[in-house]
Amino acid sequence: MLTISNLQAAVEGKEILKGIDLQINKGEVHAIMGPNGSGKSTLAAVLAGREDYEITGGSVTFEGEDLLEMAPEERAQAGIFLAFQYPVEIPGVSNTNFLRAAVNEVRKARGLEPMEPKDFLTTIREKAALMEIDQTMMSRSVNEGFSGGEKKRNEIFQMAMLDPKLAVLDETDSGLDIDALKIVATGVNKLRSPERAFVVITHYQRLLDHIVPDFVHVLYKGRIVKSGGKELAHELEAKGYDWIKAEFAEEIAS
Amino acid sequence: MTMSAETLDLKDKCILDFQSLEASLNGQSKTPFHAVRKQAIERFAELGFPTIRNEEWKYTNLMPALKAEYVLSHGLQSQVLKTTLTAKDVAPFLVPSMKANVLVFVNDSYAPELSTIITTLNGVTVSSFAEALQRSPELVQKHFARHAAFENDALAALNTAFAHNGAFVGIAEGVVVEEPFHLVFVNDARRNAVLSQPRNLFLLGANAEATIVESYHTIGSHQGFMNVVGEVMLEENAVLHHYKLQNDAENSTFVGATQVHQEASSVFNSVVISLAGGIIRNNLNTMLAGKATDTHFYGLYMVGGKTLVDNHTLADHAMPHCTSNELYKGILDDRSIGVFNGKIMVRQDAQKTLAYQSNRNILLSPNATMNTKPQLEIFADDVKCSHGATSGQLDGDALFYLRARGLSRERAQALLLYAFAGEVIEKIRIEALREYVDTIIAARLHQEELKAA
Ligand SMILES: Nc1ncnc2c1ncn2[C@@H]1O[C@H](COP(=O)(O)OP(=O)(O)O)[C@@H](O)[C@H]1O
Ligand SMILES: [Mg+2]
Repeated sequence: MLTISNLQAAVEGKEILKGIDLQINKGEVHAIMGPNGSGKSTLAAVLAGREDYEITGGSVTFEGEDLLEMAPEERAQAGIFLAFQYPVEIPGVSNTNFLRAAVNEVRKARGLEPMEPKDFLTTIREKAALMEIDQTMMSRSVNEGFSGGEKKRNEIFQMAMLDPKLAVLDETDSGLDIDALKIVATGVNKLRSPERAFVVITHYQRLLDHIVPDFVHVLYKGRIVKSGGKELAHELEAKGYDWIKAEFAEEIAS
Repeated sequence: MTMSAETLDLKDKCILDFQSLEASLNGQSKTPFHAVRKQAIERFAELGFPTIRNEEWKYTNLMPALKAEYVLSHGLQSQVLKTTLTAKDVAPFLVPSMKANVLVFVNDSYAPELSTIITTLNGVTVSSFAEALQRSPELVQKHFARHAAFENDALAALNTAFAHNGAFVGIAEGVVVEEPFHLVFVNDARRNAVLSQPRNLFLLGANAEATIVESYHTIGSHQGFMNVVGEVMLEENAVLHHYKLQNDAENSTFVGATQVHQEASSVFNSVVISLAGGIIRNNLNTMLAGKATDTHFYGLYMVGGKTLVDNHTLADHAMPHCTSNELYKGILDDRSIGVFNGKIMVRQDAQKTLAYQSNRNILLSPNATMNTKPQLEIFADDVKCSHGATSGQLDGDALFYLRARGLSRERAQALLLYAFAGEVIEKIRIEALREYVDTIIAARLHQEELKAA
């Protein structure tokens, strides 16, 4: 589904991703872990098409297409969804209007008619209930005045509405209490299917108790320095990141 | 011929027209009202039309607009302006489904046959300015040019010199009028270039409440110049909701001054919407002459082409415990030019003043420009004042967020602009007017379907 080869990216002349290789097939859940500043959010943003990053090398293909040639909206329409680490507040744009526009754009790209208003409202109600999102939040401006937890739940809610093929969750767990974490995890697990893939970026192993990954990768200083199964997350939890830092300090310096 | 020589032409023409007007007055030239007009033309003769060397007109060059061969609406040749507009001609200027008193002025003359008065309350006087002057000369003279100073304002002086036509709205003490007064000013420039100069006077007695909408329009392809002065008197506790709607043709030049005088606990709510035109200059001043007044200035200018929109505002805090709150927002495309000059004056006695001002602009084109100048002059110590101004592009994070959800760049941009404008549009209290403005903006942004939601 997604093939990342030797991907390199820089911002303001500073190299951040230094050659990432990753193969993601449909149905798989990949966790990406790593200390702060490793480049996790950068990788997510590059996949979603953020233009602030300069691609200095490598390639990314999504279902056979050159992803890096696509505009952010084309990627979303093709089925890529990024749950933002910091969801953006957009005053004056109501959640409902925004979602209707988004859902219909994505449907249009799939050759579907705009959703009937009635169906749209029913779907909203159903998915919002799942994420324990209050109906009053729907008439409010996008993310405006939402608590940290509400913003994160809203991201997963949007994901459920947009029905992506590949979802990248960037630290959706950070700042959540255990109850909110469970809601998010339940929402994600409901969407797990043989047709859909996930990239779950997290700093902690905690989330991975609830969303059990097929693969775990450790991103450090712009490189994937270790890959393994779900037990790698437990190892990291037990040993901490210092172990990675020590082990790879030399290698990366050289 | 040089530009300044041609400018002199219009100035001389105005002075000449005044003299002939005066000659035709016979006995009436001795009235105190006319004495003020005389002072005004003298002052105009001294000042002349402002050039960009005048600090107040630094970014707004009227000179090209003064070149046309204007016929003054209330002058020597005003006979040639006698015009026959039909209800059909003015229909596009009305706000659909707004239940209002509609007063139409063509080349600043009141056109009763095109107007509709629906309010029948006692204590409501609505007429042309000329009629009010004839009926209640003392009342009109008591306020005429008492609020809108022309000492340093050539255009106000010129308007004052020719003051005759325009609207009068008088609301007696304690009377609350639900239906808005929509004053529709039309320049009929089909046969000649027209310089019209409506003079308006709105008097609200203690505890009275009213809503006034002013809109300005040009018909025809000759130049239309409208130079308006409105004086507004709000007695204690009076409330006025005031709207200005400007969606005019490219061949129009508009200069309008609204001078408000607020007595204690009065409320003045103003929303100025400028969507199109040639040159638009709005002066909006309020004198907070009583305690505990409340003032809201909202403005939205959303223009493209070569339109210039210049908003000069002044909240003059002379008494304690008054609040003024100002938000002007601009969206400038193509080669359009925006000017915002917002002044907050807090005089020595105006303790416990709350005065806020914000001017936010989005430039959609590299050729659009915005000149913004906040001015705070504070002579009292126990006050809370703030101001802020921004000009720039749309929020990149918000744009990316929307695009990452599948919205095209154009769609995302339109959605953000619609929301940006919405913050001012929502201040319009008349639902039909709000809908009307909203529809124009949604259509301009191709966001009809979102509006319907
Ligand atoms: N827009 C940016 N401008 C400048 N530096 C950036 C920008 N985005 C990320 N960086 C830098 O790139 C590095 C990786 O950041 P990030 O991808 O956010 O890491 P992570 O998500 O793993 O914590 C950090 O050193 C960060 O300061
Ligand atoms: Mg991050």
